[in-house]
Amino acid sequence: MFITNKQLSRRTVLKGMGVTVALPFLEAMTPARSAFGAVGTGKKIRVVAIEMVHGSAGSTAFGIKKNMWAPAAAGREFDLASTSLVSLQPYREYVTVVSNTDVRNAEAFTAPEIGGDHFRSSAVFLTQMHPKQTQGSDVRAGTSIDQMYAQKFGQDTAIPSMQLCIENVDAAGGCSYGYSCTYTDSISWAAPDKPLPMIRDPRVVFDQLFGVGATPQERAERRTEDRSILDWLGTATARMQKNLGAADRARLTDYLEEIREIERRIQKVEARNSSGEPRELPEAPIGVPDSFSEHVKIMFDLQALAFASDVTRVFAFKLGRDASNRVYPESGFNGAFHSSSHHGEREERIADFKKINDYHVSLVPYFLEKLKNTPDADGSNLLENSLVLYGSPMGDSNVHNHKRCPLFIAGHAGGRIKGGLHIHAADGTPMANSMLAMAHALGFDDMQSFGDSTAAMDLNSAAATPVATDSKA
Amino acid sequence: MRILVSAAVAAATMSLGLTAQQTPTQKKPALAQSHPVAQRATPAPTGLSDDAQNQLVKTYCVGCHSEKGRAGGLSLASFDASKVVEHADVSEKMIRKLRAGMMPPPQARRPDADTIKAFYETLENKIDVSAALNPNPGWRPFQRLNRAEYQRALKDLLGLDVDVTAYLPPDTVSTGFDNVADEQNFSPALLEGYLRAASQISRLAIGDRNASPTSATFKIGRFGSQMRQIEGAPVGTRGGISVVHVFPADGDYVIKTSFHYEPLGGLFGRYSMLTMDISEQLEVSINGERVALLEIKPSMSETDQQNGTNGLELKTPPIHIKAGPQRVTAAFIQKLEGPVDDLVAPLENTLADVDVQFGITALPHMRDMTILGPSHVTGVSETVSRQKIFTCRPTNDREEETCAKSILTRLTNQAYRGEATADDLQDAMEFYQKGRKTGDFENGVRMALQSILVSPRFLFRMESGPSTGSGQARVANASATYKVSDQELASRLSFFLWASAPDAELIKAATSGALRTPAGLEKQVKRMIADPRSDALSTRFASQWFRLQDLDKIHPDVLLYPQYDDRLAEAMQKETELFIDSLVRDDKSVLEMLTADYSFVNERLAKHYGIPNVTGAEFRKVQMPPYRRGILGQGSILTLTSVADRTSPVLRGKWVLEVLFGTPPPPPPPDVPTLDESTKSEQGGLRLSTRQRMEEHRKNMPCASCHRVIDPLGLALDNFDVTGAWRIKDNEVPVDVVGQLYDGTKMDGPLGLQAALLKHQDMILRSFTENLMTYALGRRVEYSDMPTVRSIIHDASKHDNHWSSYILGIVNSPAFRMMKPETTKDVVAADDRSR
Repeated sequence: MFITNKQLSRRTVLKGMGVTVALPFLEAMTPARSAFGAVGTGKKIRVVAIEMVHGSAGSTAFGIKKNMWAPAAAGREFDLASTSLVSLQPYREYVTVVSNTDVRNAEAFTAPEIGGDHFRSSAVFLTQMHPKQTQGSDVRAGTSIDQMYAQKFGQDTAIPSMQLCIENVDAAGGCSYGYSCTYTDSISWAAPDKPLPMIRDPRVVFDQLFGVGATPQERAERRTEDRSILDWLGTATARMQKNLGAADRARLTDYLEEIREIERRIQKVEARNSSGEPRELPEAPIGVPDSFSEHVKIMFDLQALAFASDVTRVFAFKLGRDASNRVYPESGFNGAFHSSSHHGEREERIADFKKINDYHVSLVPYFLEKLKNTPDADGSNLLENSLVLYGSPMGDSNVHNHKRCPLFIAGHAGGRIKGGLHIHAADGTPMANSMLAMAHALGFDDMQSFGDSTAAMDLNSAAATPVATDSKA
Repeated sequence: MRILVSAAVAAATMSLGLTAQQTPTQKKPALAQSHPVAQRATPAPTGLSDDAQNQLVKTYCVGCHSEKGRAGGLSLASFDASKVVEHADVSEKMIRKLRAGMMPPPQARRPDADTIKAFYETLENKIDVSAALNPNPGWRPFQRLNRAEYQRALKDLLGLDVDVTAYLPPDTVSTGFDNVADEQNFSPALLEGYLRAASQISRLAIGDRNASPTSATFKIGRFGSQMRQIEGAPVGTRGGISVVHVFPADGDYVIKTSFHYEPLGGLFGRYSMLTMDISEQLEVSINGERVALLEIKPSMSETDQQNGTNGLELKTPPIHIKAGPQRVTAAFIQKLEGPVDDLVAPLENTLADVDVQFGITALPHMRDMTILGPSHVTGVSETVSRQKIFTCRPTNDREEETCAKSILTRLTNQAYRGEATADDLQDAMEFYQKGRKTGDFENGVRMALQSILVSPRFLFRMESGPSTGSGQARVANASATYKVSDQELASRLSFFLWASAPDAELIKAATSGALRTPAGLEKQVKRMIADPRSDALSTRFASQWFRLQDLDKIHPDVLLYPQYDDRLAEAMQKETELFIDSLVRDDKSVLEMLTADYSFVNERLAKHYGIPNVTGAEFRKVQMPPYRRGILGQGSILTLTSVADRTSPVLRGKWVLEVLFGTPPPPPPPDVPTLDESTKSEQGGLRLSTRQRMEEHRKNMPCASCHRVIDPLGLALDNFDVTGAWRIKDNEVPVDVVGQLYDGTKMDGPLGLQAALLKHQDMILRSFTENLMTYALGRRVEYSDMPTVRSIIHDASKHDNHWSSYILGIVNSPAFRMMKPETTKDVVAADDRSR
């Protein structure tokens, strides 16, 4: 895809012209196999859950008619040309489009919840649970699918999972209607009452993944210091507990768990390093880029790099923030995101809104290419062994509904998802059905339900009706 | 009617005296004085009878607020005037709407104003009397230092300005503030951030002889003009960047700069350089002293990649720079001066379109600056932080231990806010020894500092529970309240007024017991307000209350508003902060934030407002034009409530209702587009102003009921455009600002709005007090706090609503000085979280 727009970033233009430019971090990051080959054997599935807010043009009545998100044909013979997914065409054999599913738990259940869709949806996306309307410490949604996977299968790596975002999440007055900001800010929930913070600065992501220090020796020294501090911190924190009330004591117990978790991570890194892998790392990135696409790309770079070096296997990646009015000049349309999403169901405005959807999806192939070009330990490549899901917990954003929400999967999840398929779910199918099926594909063979799921979807056949739970995908 | 409340409270106070004295551990006299409710005493008649109240509710409210109708989610069908206190949550909701004059709704049948007043004052009276008998100071979990507090505490402790956003995850905001305790969650990312910060900051503070070369990059956004001298840069320069960077060691550093470019990679500004024969130079200076002068060539291009360097980058030779914070500036030498006659009108947003380059508004612009190094480290020179840390220097091995002990005694005591124990010192000394073993004396101190910076004693503001506490006896009874200790009170004070830890004098006052007397407390509060650190009340409290951080997210359309850029936005934010700061320091009335006829501007902002005779980058107090009064005449608020290409009366009205009135409008129904999004700026060949577009929409009845309230507030400000500049036409149609407040008050432009708002000043004062309390306490203000809020306002109104009377009112309130033991629910919530 080549968009003509004078505010296009120079990099894109140069690519279009076939000129190469030195891009220090990006170039350096494509790892040589010798330096980064993943350790061990057996398939290790990498999971990336990407959320975009505000639904899609293809979820409107007009957009469905015009196939703006879902292709016209279900099955294997689908045509992406009219859809926002057109940029995925080169990877269609890796792509499973799941259309026509609903995120019912993002709807309002009671009168005071009406209108608060923007401030509740993100918490629903990966949990498929209905968030409790509260501003207090009693926030409650569900455990998100990325965290379930990280908790069960992510413990072999130094960092079980990471949470990244693009937009600033501290907009004042950006969350209201009685909802804690945390519902808007995070898509990753370690437990129903434990949202995880999302990191926006690529430099911080890098430092967390690989540690601070210019040389392996420096990084090792700092790890040793941190270990001795953590050791003491456990005792010092426990010592403080005795003077506190019960609730504060419980809070500190929580903190003690974080201390043990960081200790565990350091041990993992040291165990790994003692096996003698050379660790040549690219230069650390330099803060948050101005451009949306550059920011997204560098975050994708870091995810691919983390997978290649097996520091972590799970990412949650939040591309937008509800009610954000960011403008994406590179989409070829200059309207603000939130305003444009309230298109009043007018055809020409829906078409404009679709340009933003197209643009967001068009950033994904960059990541898929990186994954495909990175060999994995089992001889295949990272895309083969990944499950990348991309979607939105909203459908038609103009009316704040959560029906016919956008969703697709990329990657073969180690062979359990075949790809090259468009599944058009029966009307009223919960999106949770597809997530239950993804959980099955990720090794949660016995999981009976997820969120408001009614059955697991068969991700490898285009049957219009969902199959029963007991016949696993 | 106030009289009525006071009488009952006076009676209540007498009986309170009795009840309280039965609790032997409470210091009675101090408590009575510290609770302003108790000070009032005037005889008065009684309010409305229970029957009369029940009848009123039945006649005027239950029609909509029935079990079935539940308008606004509220049923008053079972309202019982004798149970007003038991259902204080509902009663407070009623009081709020009644006092605002919003209920019964404007078109509905309503009793006369005196009856409404008598009714809500009766409700308040009942609740306040009961609260005076049973003060409820509320409870919250312990607070941790948030980003801003961590940064400011470091500055106080080590004299170091560190950008903590590089380490710590963002703080969760609750009801507008980033310091609300029960939203402060823990995560591995947070702990990891604390560890990384402690490791790095301890090295920067002490200096690092073994520092290996790294790079630090400072980006310059695309939305800022680089045609004028920027803050911190030497005179005679334009644009560029000026930062204070903390250098880890004395050594050689290279400063690398890069420039903005055209779409195809050529230097932005090269046409101007070529056609006008201008030679551009970039000066790099350290603390104002030139260390390099770099020539900029119009032929520079990013497509030019030789020897791994980028053609758009310029590097200085290695420069020897000393350790510690130093100001590094890279800025263009100003070559042109004087009136501009350009092909295109000079823009402020000079990089709005990098394809357009004519004349002198299109000179080269810097894109970022990177500091690389150090190499050839020669040592570590004296720095502010080192002087703060190394209060002694061992001259031989034997003195080392004693010296370390003296240094760490001071550091732990300050870092742990006056509550360091022998154990704490012992722990720090162990880390000193660890560091000493692997390095020198300084490394030992550094290692100890690293441990201090990550200690829960530093990061968490623990307050001991009711049943413990050293020295001071506390209430053991689970339902009784207890006082926070003197040191804890000192911390509460300093985080409220300074957003940082207590200084030595405050710690001393706490230790000596001086904070226990009202006079001693007031003395400290006055001293702290006079201290420069009380800027936190404007930069942290007011800016969050006003939502100034949202200004960052608004980018007015560059084609419609080419005069707007980041420099202007920064000036707007600073204006509002300086303005509030002056109100606090001069102890003005809180209401002056709406009425002041002065403000603070620099040249850039003065030009934007059309104020003559202001030159230079410094801000100064000026008389404002008659239509700009208080914050609603300031660019910051007016811009952050706009959208990119037009004003939004809805957002402005909503801002007034939410922020100033504390009565946010209900959410719009789900199936309608945002009101002002869907009408076009042209209809049938006629241009429509924003107002006309709105009115088109208000014909829609379901919208009208709320937007009749919201829109006129914003429309009254429609003479201010998206960027807060004055205008008389909108989309070529004359601006019409006439409208009505929901209570029928006519509003004609900003001054009319001001008058209408001042008619409801009790709401504004209540919203102010609630927000200041939320910020001060680190918890959301609940309905049970409303008696305290009313009492603070009542007392402050006797002192012309001065800022200090509100601050003292909060500081003296039970909510600030006391805690209620946590309820089982609180414990369960915390347990749940930690599982």
